[in-house]
Amino acid sequence: MNRICLPSFFRRVNCCRAGVVLLVLVLGLSGVSRAAMSDDFAKGLEFSQAGQFPEAAAAFEKAAKTNPSAGTFLNLGLAEWQRGHAGAAMVAWEQARWINPFDSRAENNLKFAREAAQVDPPQLKWHEAVSTWLPPNAWVWLAGVSLWLAVGLLILPGILRRRKAGWQPWLAALSVGVFLFSLAANYGVVSRTHLGFVIKKNATVRLTPTQDGEVVLTLTSGESARVLRTRGKYFYIHTPGTSGWMEQDDFRLICPP
Amino acid sequence: MEKLKHSVLRLLGATALLWLASPFPVQAQLRIQPGGLVQLQMPQPTVDVSSPPVATAEFDPPVVNPGGKTYYRVNIDATESAIQWPEDFSLPPELKVGTSARGMITQLQTDKFRPLTSFIYEVQAPAAGNFTVSNFTVNVLGSLVQVPAASLAVASTATAVPPPRKLIMQMTATNIYLGQPFRVRVILPAGPGNQIEALREIQFDGGGLMTDKTALQQFIGPVNLDGELKPAFVSEMMVTPIAAGPQKLMAQGFSAGREFTAPITIRGQVSLAGGQPKYVLLLSDPAKINVRPLPVEGELPGFTGAIGRFFSDPPKISTNRFHIGEPVQLKVVFHGEGDLNRFVGPAAPRSHNWQIVADPPPSTSFTLIPLTDEVHETPAIPFSYFDPESGKYVDLTVPPVPVTVMGEDLPVQLTDSSEEGKTTVSLKLSAPAMRPDHAMASLMPLQLKAWFVVLQLVPVAGFIALWEWDRRRRYLEAHPEIVRRIRARRALRQEKVQLQKAVAAGDATAFVRHAANAMNIAVAPHYPADPQALVGGDVLAQLDEPSRNGPPGELVKQVFAAADVRFAELAQPQPDLLALRSKVETVLQMLEARL
Repeated sequence: MNRICLPSFFRRVNCCRAGVVLLVLVLGLSGVSRAAMSDDFAKGLEFSQAGQFPEAAAAFEKAAKTNPSAGTFLNLGLAEWQRGHAGAAMVAWEQARWINPFDSRAENNLKFAREAAQVDPPQLKWHEAVSTWLPPNAWVWLAGVSLWLAVGLLILPGILRRRKAGWQPWLAALSVGVFLFSLAANYGVVSRTHLGFVIKKNATVRLTPTQDGEVVLTLTSGESARVLRTRGKYFYIHTPGTSGWMEQDDFRLICPP
Repeated sequence: MEKLKHSVLRLLGATALLWLASPFPVQAQLRIQPGGLVQLQMPQPTVDVSSPPVATAEFDPPVVNPGGKTYYRVNIDATESAIQWPEDFSLPPELKVGTSARGMITQLQTDKFRPLTSFIYEVQAPAAGNFTVSNFTVNVLGSLVQVPAASLAVASTATAVPPPRKLIMQMTATNIYLGQPFRVRVILPAGPGNQIEALREIQFDGGGLMTDKTALQQFIGPVNLDGELKPAFVSEMMVTPIAAGPQKLMAQGFSAGREFTAPITIRGQVSLAGGQPKYVLLLSDPAKINVRPLPVEGELPGFTGAIGRFFSDPPKISTNRFHIGEPVQLKVVFHGEGDLNRFVGPAAPRSHNWQIVADPPPSTSFTLIPLTDEVHETPAIPFSYFDPESGKYVDLTVPPVPVTVMGEDLPVQLTDSSEEGKTTVSLKLSAPAMRPDHAMASLMPLQLKAWFVVLQLVPVAGFIALWEWDRRRRYLEAHPEIVRRIRARRALRQEKVQLQKAVAAGDATAFVRHAANAMNIAVAPHYPADPQALVGGDVLAQLDEPSRNGPPGELVKQVFAAADVRFAELAQPQPDLLALRSKVETVLQMLEARL
């Protein structure tokens, strides 16, 4: 009886161990970690509580540059909103959600801001919508781990001259499925890096990347667009309405280069 | 019945009120005769263009001394554009013709206007004699008008001949820069009896000059002419050169009696000519001016063509605390010595943070609209002028003014109103985060980082290495002799090391033991067998025939015999075995070569 049970017990233990390793890899190596409170973050909080929102925004922006974190971007968005910068606030909250898609505060603030400013959220394609389920780096690690896990499960038993367990083909198939799914999500992540928001009120979209270019559209603060290419200090952006050139100072990407 | 009465009374009352409220009493309709409407609109005298034109011709003065100047003048009472002046018109060849001009004036004749066009030629008679310009015809709107003959008598002896009337031109500068306005005085000295006449239709003949008649100033007063104060009619105006290079400037105008066309100041005692004015086209002597182009070097930003000497008051802003998008007025006042009538203020500069609109001239103020609250001062407005005295551009940039721009007031909560009139907060902003929470090294995802792509090659390399290892292992399993030889070579290397150590230590017993072991190891894969199970004969068997019977064979036997001494009961005398070292190494090389 013992001879039969012991291998199956060990197999279960190995299976659990593999699961734990996978989880650690996905969450730990995804680059998302708890950040320590920096001096700039603390200063920003102080300024914010004192009602000095321009100074608070500057401090949070500095903190976000050195240590990008969801909380910093959340507070940056609040400071920008309080000083009247609706577009910059929305970008900051989008960045908070980029780091931590599970941050309900940023999601709520975005909903509030779009309701107040009467702007629509960006129209995401299905693979982009899927990519918002996890942090961007989690998807890439998930893809890597699932791929090599599947390859390992299929190849290693033969090399190591071990008998293939019954669960191994199933786990390999599951890994392949996860890999294929995460490929789409990864594509969505890359695609979302081109997404940005207008940060200046009545920003102009021009026909040519020049100051004298014909104005084809005026966008309000907080409206979203996709950057297709860059020339000089202009972005060539695409909105549901039209395409044209916008000055880089009037537009901010979620994921700045 | 009562209602009908009230209605009639109300109607009558309303009619009376309307009649009283009417600004004009009711009038009988006017009967306007044909053409009468034009008379109503233009109550001034009509312009007579239907009367047949009449031409006159004269020399002014008709008598001159030899070398003296006179003017040949033809007057035709028709418009200048209607007259086709003959292209082949020429004066007698004995007369030296100088400058010529033409001009037109509208003369008032009792109840109508009549155009008058004058053609004038400056003439110099070099020698005494009588000269006649015979009569000729001029085409005026298709009809031929006879111009009568005119005679000039040049006296043979010097006689007292009054000089012809002419205009005198005085300029404030003759060496000027392109675009630099300068003041020109056109003077009509008093005629006989110190009688002053007005000048009309003053023109400057000369290309590349622009006259500003809006800055016209006229006065009558004593003027210094050739060192003598004489009463004169003076007309001052601004002239601006618009072409570079030497320019010739000449003034012309009609004497017009008391017809002053602009407000005039009279200084001193003068007598004005009475009666019907006599319109005479007069000329001045031509003057030369040199127009220099503006220097290209040293031109400063904001130069709009202002030439002179200017200065500005500090700019004034309507308010220095305002919101984004709120227009504010920035006033800049310029003073100067140049032509302020034609002064072009600074142009609105382009600014990313401001929308700047220059107010229409002659105002030099600006409307500024902040586009961001990150500005703390108005933009500097570049402006410069050219100082003709120093010949340099001077910076007169409007300096920035400190301001505070506030952002938009955005709501912090949204409310909903229910049907019962109750308002509830539907959405509001979250509280700030007290900790930074989740962090990333960078917002840039790993997918776009080159090192991460390179990192993916590591598992690929690992799997390739594993696969290669497995292939090698399977190959060796199929060919065990390779493994045995590899192991034999490895063991042989170890025995050689021991052999060296024994030689170094001078231990002959250990030397022969390791030499015998090394030989056994070197031949073991050929059987295959365990090296410990082999003897000297097995080693000899692996040598080729010549070696087996030659010195190598002898050496093998000697080594194995010395190694077997340990099994002997009695100690055997041993030769100097360490001297065999080089021979042993040769045999081992021979055996190793066969592995």
